[in-house]
Amino acid sequence: MSTREPMWYCHECHAEMRPLMVPDPHCASCNGTFVERIENPTDDPRDFAVADAANWEDGPLPGEMDVFLAGLRSILRGPNPSPPVPAPSGSPRARSTSPENRRMSGDRPRSPNAPQTFTTGRNNSFTIRIERSSLPGSRRTVILGGPPGGGSNDDIPRLSQFAPPRPSDGTQQDRPNITGPMLAQYLLALMGPGRGADPFSELLGGMFPGGIPGGGGPENGRWGDYVFNQEALDQIITQIMENSNSHQPVPATEEVIGKLPREVLEEGSPLLEKDCAVCKEQFKVETEDPDELVVITLPCSHPFHEPCILPWLKNSGTCPVCRYQLVPQPSSHPPGPPPAGSSRSDSSSSPGSSGNNGSSGGGSGILQNVFGLFSGAPQNNAPQNEHGSSSSSSNNAGRSQNRPTATRTASGGQPSSPTRRGSDYDIPGGWGDQVD
Amino acid sequence: MAVSTRRLQKELTDIKRDGTPVGIELLSADDFATWYLSVEVLGNTVYEGEKFALKFRFDSQYPISAPAVQFVVDGQYQAPIHPHVYSNGHICASILSTEWSPVLSVVSVCVTIQSMLASCKKKERPPDNDRYVSRAPENPKKTQWDFHDDDV
Repeated sequence: MSTREPMWYCHECHAEMRPLMVPDPHCASCNGTFVERIENPTDDPRDFAVADAANWEDGPLPGEMDVFLAGLRSILRGPNPSPPVPAPSGSPRARSTSPENRRMSGDRPRSPNAPQTFTTGRNNSFTIRIERSSLPGSRRTVILGGPPGGGSNDDIPRLSQFAPPRPSDGTQQDRPNITGPMLAQYLLALMGPGRGADPFSELLGGMFPGGIPGGGGPENGRWGDYVFNQEALDQIITQIMENSNSHQPVPATEEVIGKLPREVLEEGSPLLEKDCAVCKEQFKVETEDPDELVVITLPCSHPFHEPCILPWLKNSGTCPVCRYQLVPQPSSHPPGPPPAGSSRSDSSSSPGSSGNNGSSGGGSGILQNVFGLFSGAPQNNAPQNEHGSSSSSSNNAGRSQNRPTATRTASGGQPSSPTRRGSDYDIPGGWGDQVD
Repeated sequence: MAVSTRRLQKELTDIKRDGTPVGIELLSADDFATWYLSVEVLGNTVYEGEKFALKFRFDSQYPISAPAVQFVVDGQYQAPIHPHVYSNGHICASILSTEWSPVLSVVSVCVTIQSMLASCKKKERPPDNDRYVSRAPENPKKTQWDFHDDDV
């Protein structure tokens, strides 16, 4: 596509550069190996950098990170939060962590000298502690752990409570026989109900707006997404099979559709010798429906009746014959030539990229909840799927055009045997529609 | 006239005029909602001598939306024993779900499934057959299939 040699980007010194290639690609200036080849100009890693990425090591935490950690702390704290513990060395931070305030909280200036430590309150079953010293080159430490020391820990469940009782004949070895499910139940009891709120219910609530379905507790083998037996696993799998819609095809935008060349059939047109592949009818001048005189030819040169192709494009922005991508699709199909004038912001309204409205349901809600807090820039994480495949895009650019579907089918290939995971697929044809 | 009706009428006309490929027969097409076709695998295969029936269900959006296709399982027909065919007749084939295209047709789907059976070397059910069948929706289109097998 481009005659220019692609540039590389170093994620460690945040600069465009040409790497040394031996033994492995690495940055010529910082010797870092976290380098990326910028093959697709629309997929520039710099677009994804946080605004103050350069200050990450030495500067204050990015605001979004603060918000995220504050949210996590509020979740783990439970319904009756004790006040946050001021850091021993200053920087008291009594922040509101209510959801209303998360968005408003910005990146506050803070003392540049004192080491920063903030933790969740005492008497909690969980602690998040973040320490960083301001010395140059020092590292930030995030500690997720059990209750802070010194608190009254009487209500912490003990593992021995979950171990089977020892036989009284004294033949038992010293170590209790701890099984995996037992340990899991112990951990859940450690975090779970009876000890305040379920710490994960708020996070998981983003996935299931009506609360955790089949929730309850460990006794039914199911705790949110955690399961302890086959039946609960089946429930989860069924749920995923029924609910997952995060890889539906990306429809062509109105803008893309509007720009497609249209031609009105008239006598002598070479199109009259061709068929529309959707309705399988030959193009003809005499027709009852004037709309059928309008032919849209896709950039891959495949012509269709306008009323035939438009419903498809509004479902999936691909050519039905060769799967040419008018708009980037989920990574199952290698991206074709970058479509001219495609609009990222429009495609961000598609189901797979609902951005920051984390409570919208769908299986990816939890990740959107968590990372939505991070990004603060919904347009950047919208078309995530495409970026995963960018490294292979250059090799495959022309492939999709060489794969007419009808031929592939008739030749008796291996219809159900693509190597790609199903989760990478787009789902054309109104997959969620009711048929029966 | 619904788009699906017109397209199916065209396919039916073509079938009646040109016939169907070898091993595939139209069993019934009484309306434009449900069709039945039979599929036999020709030649020396593990399904030699067996005959299967495919049930096609169309909605009004066909061919924009894929037909719901499954093997008939009743007193007369059984689902073939195949790693991509569940015992309730549901078929794990990408062209029936994510790789559907309006270019495909009833006959081309039959040919694809016929060749899928023809290339099978060993008769066995999908490894998750029991789990899937016990919870499968009635309509296979409601299943989110996961394609991960490159061997059959």
